[in-house]
Amino acid sequence: MVRIKTILIAVLVVILGILAATYLLESEEKKVKKQFDLLSKWVSKDLGESPITMASKARNIGTLFAESCELKVPVDSISATYTPAEVSGYALHGRLQFSEMSLKFYDLTVEFPEKGTAQVVLTANLKGRSMNGELIDETLEVQCVLNKIDQKWLFSAFEVVEVLEK
Amino acid sequence: MVTVRFAGNKVMLLKRIVALEGEQVEFRSGKLMVEGKELEEPYVRLPCHWNLPPRQVDQGCVYVVGDNRSLPMETHHFGQTSVKRIVGVPLW
Repeated sequence: MVRIKTILIAVLVVILGILAATYLLESEEKKVKKQFDLLSKWVSKDLGESPITMASKARNIGTLFAESCELKVPVDSISATYTPAEVSGYALHGRLQFSEMSLKFYDLTVEFPEKGTAQVVLTANLKGRSMNGELIDETLEVQCVLNKIDQKWLFSAFEVVEVLEK
Repeated sequence: MVTVRFAGNKVMLLKRIVALEGEQVEFRSGKLMVEGKELEEPYVRLPCHWNLPPRQVDQGCVYVVGDNRSLPMETHHFGQTSVKRIVGVPLW
């Protein structure tokens, strides 16, 4: 009788452990995905956006990035690292070139190769209208790395996947 | 014709495989050359003026191009891709 009770308790502990691990992983995945929601929200720009909103969004974008974030775009031979302040600066400058724009992320696959690191593969779609009226609609596959620093998931690397190499 | 998975699970491109791994491919005044010989391409109806130096297709890859080549080369999606990116063919 005692033995059966011990086995039942052991099974219960294992089940609870699995459930807890699953819940924690899911909750970390949600936190990672939330960073992409914020990036999408702050990069996107409505027609007639005020300069205050523009400055605030550009500053907010910087808060999503680690002290050093690597950007690789093989097709354009771009490989550089940026600080959050530089990211905010480029974001402000980039958004000024558009009267309206939207950045959306689809098909996010999140993996945790080690504690405190998240690898995400996703589809990014940037739509917009430049200041001279040109329409932009670009879709890319992107690989991102986020690191958990001070309980926050921060972007530390972006690489545009080169699917077709001329 | 094949479908190439361009991004995620939904963004696909419809392309034609023109060269296999190990083969040399180039564009010379709009003519597609494979292994130094011009490939007959009756499906290319619009004028093309692309020039691209010869390159060899890497292992595990194929070279794909679309039929609409009247666009500037820089704005057209084509080139070498992993065979793992080929996900299907058109049904008709």
